[in-house]
Amino acid sequence: MRSIPRRIAIGATALAAVIAVTACAPSAPSSQSSSVASSGGSASATPGATGVTINIATTTDVVNYNPLVGNSRTDYWVTNLMYPHLLTISSDGSKQASLATKWGYTNPTTGYFDIRNDMTWSDGVKLTAKDVAYTINAVIKDKPGGTLYGQLTNVKSATATSDTHVEITLVKPDSTVVNEVGFWGNIVPEHVFSKAGNVAKFANDKNWVSVGPYVLTNVVKGQSYTLDAVKSYPMVAGGVPKAAKIVYRVYPDVNTEILALQKGDVDMIANAIPPAQVKNLQNSDGIKLAEIPGLGYAHMTYNMKKPPLDKLAVRQALAYSVDYNAIRSVVLQGQGVSTGSSPIMPVLKTYYDASLKEYPYDPTQTRRFLTDAGYKADGSGNFPLNFRLIYSLQDAVTSQWVNLVKDGAAKAGITITLQGLERNTYLAKTAAGDFDIYAGNFAIMDDPATNMALTYLKDGAINYSYVDDPALSALIEQSRVAPDQQTALKLLQKAAKIVHDNVYDNVMYTQNLYIAYRSTISGLVVKPSELLSVVDPASLAVITKTS
Amino acid sequence: MPFAVFVLRRLGRGLLTIWFAVTVTFLLLRLLPGDPALAVANPNMTAGMRATLLAQYGLDQPLIVQYAKYLWQLVHGNLGVSFAQSVPVTDALMSRLPWTLLLTGAALVVTVVLGIPLGVLAASRRGGFLDRLVQMGSVVGQSLFVPSVGVLLLYVFGLVLRIFPIGGAFTDGTYGLAWYLSVLTHLVLPCASLVLIQIGSYVLTLRATLIDALGEDYCTLAKANGLSPRRVLWKHALRNALLPTTTLIGLQLGFLVGGAVLTETVYAYPGIGRAIYEAVTQLDFPVLQGAFVLLAAAVVVANMITDIAYGLLDPRVKTA
Amino acid sequence: MSTPQAPTSRPVETKATLPTVPMTGSVMHGLEPVATELPGAARATWQAIRREPLGIIGLAVMTLLVVVALAAPLLAEYPSGYGELVLAPPSGSHLFGTDSLGRDVLAEVIWGSQQSMLVAFAASFIAIAIGTALAMIGAYFPRTDGPIGVLVDLTLSLPVLPLMILVAALVGPSTVTIICVVAAFSWPEVARVVRSQALAVVRLPYVDAARLMTTSPFWIITRHIIPAVTPVIVVSVVLTASRAVLSAAGLSFLGLGDPNTWSWGRILYEAQQSGAMSSAWWLTLFPSVAILLLVLSATLLSISYNDARNPRSRRR
Repeated sequence: MRSIPRRIAIGATALAAVIAVTACAPSAPSSQSSSVASSGGSASATPGATGVTINIATTTDVVNYNPLVGNSRTDYWVTNLMYPHLLTISSDGSKQASLATKWGYTNPTTGYFDIRNDMTWSDGVKLTAKDVAYTINAVIKDKPGGTLYGQLTNVKSATATSDTHVEITLVKPDSTVVNEVGFWGNIVPEHVFSKAGNVAKFANDKNWVSVGPYVLTNVVKGQSYTLDAVKSYPMVAGGVPKAAKIVYRVYPDVNTEILALQKGDVDMIANAIPPAQVKNLQNSDGIKLAEIPGLGYAHMTYNMKKPPLDKLAVRQALAYSVDYNAIRSVVLQGQGVSTGSSPIMPVLKTYYDASLKEYPYDPTQTRRFLTDAGYKADGSGNFPLNFRLIYSLQDAVTSQWVNLVKDGAAKAGITITLQGLERNTYLAKTAAGDFDIYAGNFAIMDDPATNMALTYLKDGAINYSYVDDPALSALIEQSRVAPDQQTALKLLQKAAKIVHDNVYDNVMYTQNLYIAYRSTISGLVVKPSELLSVVDPASLAVITKTS
Repeated sequence: MPFAVFVLRRLGRGLLTIWFAVTVTFLLLRLLPGDPALAVANPNMTAGMRATLLAQYGLDQPLIVQYAKYLWQLVHGNLGVSFAQSVPVTDALMSRLPWTLLLTGAALVVTVVLGIPLGVLAASRRGGFLDRLVQMGSVVGQSLFVPSVGVLLLYVFGLVLRIFPIGGAFTDGTYGLAWYLSVLTHLVLPCASLVLIQIGSYVLTLRATLIDALGEDYCTLAKANGLSPRRVLWKHALRNALLPTTTLIGLQLGFLVGGAVLTETVYAYPGIGRAIYEAVTQLDFPVLQGAFVLLAAAVVVANMITDIAYGLLDPRVKTA
Repeated sequence: MSTPQAPTSRPVETKATLPTVPMTGSVMHGLEPVATELPGAARATWQAIRREPLGIIGLAVMTLLVVVALAAPLLAEYPSGYGELVLAPPSGSHLFGTDSLGRDVLAEVIWGSQQSMLVAFAASFIAIAIGTALAMIGAYFPRTDGPIGVLVDLTLSLPVLPLMILVAALVGPSTVTIICVVAAFSWPEVARVVRSQALAVVRLPYVDAARLMTTSPFWIITRHIIPAVTPVIVVSVVLTASRAVLSAAGLSFLGLGDPNTWSWGRILYEAQQSGAMSSAWWLTLFPSVAILLLVLSATLLSISYNDARNPRSRRR
């Protein structure tokens, strides 16, 4: 008698547990399948010319769909396909027309953009200069945390004087602002974003409106982002994007990503392949690699607020103890280019000064520098110098080469203590100046005047060497208000020489990146840097796939 | 003790657990080095811009005010708005939680379904070859490192044999039966590696308790009464031996839900574990706090279910 | 036993804690020889272990690993710098192949054993110390039992790995951090297991007798109760240690390990970071096997010890 109700009770509890789990689990499926159904409908309405779907792997999710806020790599890749930039960039760092056809200054405190007149948002509204002015003014007012806001420090406001002409009023003369705003800013639709009120808090997570080649239609967080081709995209030959769909798929682990590429689940990997895997994939059947010119650099800075790093001899000693060639040949597998220890990289052809030579790897010279400066080595040849080098553990390439830096210094009798940090700790310590040596890198250093201002002016946001050299500052300040490029170039080259000779910064290399794709893909357009690479709208709009 | 009092007591303890999880997370997050504005890592961000951003997030207020506000929101069922994604935390998490529940739930069911016969088998052939084999297998499974197993399984079954897909939870653009099938094929490998890793402890626990139960007087008595050894094992010994196994299920849930981070990462499974890990790197406080509330609640509910099941299974609990 | 007690005294994987079996029965019976620490019982246990082939295998493997860890400087040069042969498969000159900087993987595994085993032993030692202390206090002073039980339950309800990630991010990656983090989340299980065992012992007549002889709870706990629960503690040490190895590897794998010390987790992490896990199988296989061997030998030892200790389950 007793066992029967008990059994029922056990059964009921088990059932309750199962229901509790299943009640949660299938809820996603039903909503997913309905949105899949709707996207299926819209796909048939706007087929791309070739009707193919291009699957692209990435390691991270889209964090924020609002291009004025989002700043992770996948954010850029996805939103760039919908919200255009005024300017784009060529392999030598010079700016080229994109949405803007002409740009420049009418006087030292007024810049302008002339934009195309043939662009229409995917909901049928025409894109005009008002959208451009709205974007700039909204960012100034609401201060969203994206990259554009940082470029607008010297901008007072923007005004659309006609449907195709925008005027930018500056607070003070700045010859870099038009280029930088044009390159970094995504233009957003006023008729959508203004309804949201504050653009800093607008998630823009549904009903996307695009003026790029594709529009986001379906999102499965943690898994995939599907973009459908738009009906008309005048910025490419033919006026329509070639693929019907672009699907970004998320593989947080690069190993899984590579397996998915080899199997053919994805056609391309958008993030750069780890240097050591390039050779392996080159030998892999059905897989090709594209070389993407880098536009940034990796560097070490010596914190001049921490004695004895304020002494030139000590900084020189450190700079001469690094085996730069070994770093480039082993860690980067030959995929790095020396910058001649100058902050102006060779990739910026117009600005590059070939007369600056890389610091040689010479432990004997290091010892001589130190002995001349009055340091005495102990019995085992070690100087009483100990420096703490910080780097981010999430940065795989840097994590490897810092070990070579440490070994090189040890050979010259200098002790370097490596402090690998979790990313946020690293950022906090960097911002607080809590380090002797900082190792890190920047993805895009496209404009020498802007970047040297950020890096070497006294209050520059990334002045991690804490340099405050009046002569250097004067040159940089002058270059920012120089009337023409030739004048600016001379000033910047002089500034770079000061940085080089005083070891205010130790710029080590520009990394050229490799993107892997299946050989069925054709028509890729290569743009510089990992942000643009082969996933820029200019490339994805013309890409095709053969089965 | 009346059943209602027992349930109420468990409920109270459950709420206390959730509050504890909320407070621990809240404080831990504020102690973390760096701040959400720095995590944006914008090279041209000045000190002024950083302060503006922190104010936008409400982090310029005193800690106690932030805490009170958060608890107040929580009581009203509001988990806040994500810093990085600008969407309500509930939206950010609810799209991920079902997949974790599906994955860990499926893994649990498979583990129990396979684990009980294996445990019984080992116990009934005690000291024999099969017993040793099951024990060895259990121990090896427990000692495996998830990502290594994951990449191996993906390589063999995904790339070489092409039986299962690589990554994701379903195939985009399928519906109806095809959709359910794709969910199933995507589930197999991550579920298999979770089962592989956790089944050992169930089998070993069951084996040990069964062996002890078989030595008990009531089993000896049952055997003396002429019941077949099979019947004694399955009817009498197993009933008692199941109790610790039930408890183990409850105990491991916290581990299971949180421990799926590595599995979800390797298999690119869109679960909540990954969402949590990403929120850590972005220092997205509201998402992290929300996730811990949800996880704690899930564990509490699961524990309550096991406790009630325990009460129903254990004669002493029932009659006392 | 009253009703609310039953759900809280949950057993973990060990068979030493069986609330299912009436407390006066097998548990005490199984404990008695150890409680009095008769030399005969210890010898009987040892002889039983010796008869367990799995136990002998476990012991041999464990000894081998300890020897490798201690003799690392004699066995291989400390892996540093870089080599010309990058990602070379196993060969005569590099038995375990080389990694993405051309360093010898065999040397990395050998030196990695030091940190991995240090973490295992230190973390389990701390966890055992805290867990046992709290369990003893809870068992001996009934008034503290409630709050301690709640604390244990609360900690067990927290999602472990995400919290570990948070704490590791908070304190910064180092070997000490890993040890503390793993210990901080392992003690409640120990406390729970030891407590249920200790509760049974506290009620035994000889403890009552001891109370007549001294008023020092410390003396009674250390002299009478702890020896009685030693078997459970030994089993817990093993389980916590193996869990610590896996947790430490997991943390390293997520980029929260100690970047300056070689550990098996670091080898795996660097393999993962360089995208080499599927193409350079030797990078994943050897450290994974090392982890497997350590956990395997520890668990085998605990199973055999457990089987051997219990006179009733010994093979006759």
